[in-house]
Amino acid sequence: MLAILLSSLIFIACLGLIFSEKINRTIVAMAGAAVMVGAGKLLGFYSEQDAIASIDWNTLGLLLGMMVLVALLEPTGFFEYVAVSTARLSKGIPIRLFVLLGGVTTVLSMFLDNVTTIVLIAPVTILISEVLGTSATPYLISEALLSNTGGVATLVGDPPNVLIGSAANLSFTDFLVHALPVVLVCWVAALALLLFLFRKELRIVPENHEAVMKMIPSEALNDRRTAMRVLVIIGGAIALFFLHSLLDLTPSYVALSAAAVALIVVRPSMDETFKNVEWNVLLFFIGLFVVVGGIDKSGALDLLISLLEKGSTFIPALFGILLIWIVAGLSAVVDNVPITIALIPVIEGLAEVGINPTPLWWALVFGAGFGGCATIIGASANIIVAILSEKTRNPITSALWIRRGLPVMLLTCTIASLIFWFAYNHFAD
Amino acid sequence: MNIHDCMKINVFSVPATATVREAISLLVLKHIGLLPVVDGNHRPVGVVGLRDFLKFALPSSFSLQDDLDFLGDFGALEHYRPTDAILAKPVTDFMRPATTVHEDSGLLRAYSFMLLHDLHDMPVVDEHGQLTGIASRVDIGVTILADWV
Repeated sequence: MLAILLSSLIFIACLGLIFSEKINRTIVAMAGAAVMVGAGKLLGFYSEQDAIASIDWNTLGLLLGMMVLVALLEPTGFFEYVAVSTARLSKGIPIRLFVLLGGVTTVLSMFLDNVTTIVLIAPVTILISEVLGTSATPYLISEALLSNTGGVATLVGDPPNVLIGSAANLSFTDFLVHALPVVLVCWVAALALLLFLFRKELRIVPENHEAVMKMIPSEALNDRRTAMRVLVIIGGAIALFFLHSLLDLTPSYVALSAAAVALIVVRPSMDETFKNVEWNVLLFFIGLFVVVGGIDKSGALDLLISLLEKGSTFIPALFGILLIWIVAGLSAVVDNVPITIALIPVIEGLAEVGINPTPLWWALVFGAGFGGCATIIGASANIIVAILSEKTRNPITSALWIRRGLPVMLLTCTIASLIFWFAYNHFAD
Repeated sequence: MNIHDCMKINVFSVPATATVREAISLLVLKHIGLLPVVDGNHRPVGVVGLRDFLKFALPSSFSLQDDLDFLGDFGALEHYRPTDAILAKPVTDFMRPATTVHEDSGLLRAYSFMLLHDLHDMPVVDEHGQLTGIASRVDIGVTILADWV
């Protein structure tokens, strides 16, 4: 009992510290892992070997592989090229720019790291808005919200998906069959809602809208040759993702092999390339795996599982919908990664007592993916655009984010719940 | 040779009570880049210059980009004018801390301070901390080089 109490306390303390943002989340996860293993050794419920075994290397490999690919693409100016081309295509008409930038960011973040996409697209978005003489706020908020929403569609689109896909053995195609249709409906609905919420800002066509036509996309592309090579390799990796279960390859093998091929082809400065890899994110994951592994070993999750087992017996679809909303609510206020990592062993435990876990995995995907839209701290992409907006004349406030993001979260979760309810058998397959 | 030997003695400054409009007018009128902001005892309490005011037109978001070649036209930014409310604000709202150098300072020492703090002009003060001159990188640099030829 003491082990259960202590391990739960350590996990809750970690969540609290991550939520408070007083200490960097990676530091919290690493320290939490150290404390959990220490407590486990002291009380005899968790060892170093258990801690190592609790780390999901498939998730880390997939993330690392994709990070290396993006790190190679980043200095080529590809993302800036895409943003500038999009701006030209919009001819500086706000509504067109809004839809196109949101769409392009979504498509990129479906296959590449969400955070990197936003980090590279948002500064160009700000420049475009400055040149047009309009506020960047509608574009920045919608880019973050739409890419969060779009990222739910694929195995590699969002870290929780990588985690869930790895734990539940869901393939890239499984995501396209189960998550993509839901995301398509949610994305269009979210876009329509955002167009309505930002109608005032988007109605005015700026006097200088022709200025975007003088932007030269080719000038943004610093290294066309490398960009083409890396894009071809990323395309190859995506093609292999489609076939990975057929070929009996893990997604992490595909991603790491693609990264290795790209490194051979590009031969970059390794120092520069590895500077662009987000090691802190990987360490954050490792720390959390170890922390959650500790609670699992202490038996704390068994209590939760037996409670949930009773609840899940009445209507399975309703239980799934409840899970969507609980996870979404939690993801809105705390990083969705710890929530996902903590719930994975719970769903695995429910599977062991005879409950079909498949619909619950999808409920977790939708809840963790859509929940992050609600608040400024709900997803990494939100935090990034908010920080970047501080360099503009109209910084994005937390209150403004809730006014725009919360309706999007409520709408997408409602749509996901309805589809989940009416197509429950599809998700239970 | 020290900074006293190469600084400009006829130095323009604004009091801490001046408005942004007054400071900008003086920069334009005297065709200069930096103005020390002084207190009642003529001691520098800060500096304001072109970069502090031009950032109204060129927001700091531009520093997020390594490359601006793709921007063929700066559009609305080229036509930016600050509002009357901004121009009426006290200059102290926009001033930076003053990095000053004593008039006895060596030239290379003063020059290294300017490199370190990314300054193009630096106010010079006497032993009471009162403003006595201003020296630019050019003033200091050419004085050093003059000794070499």
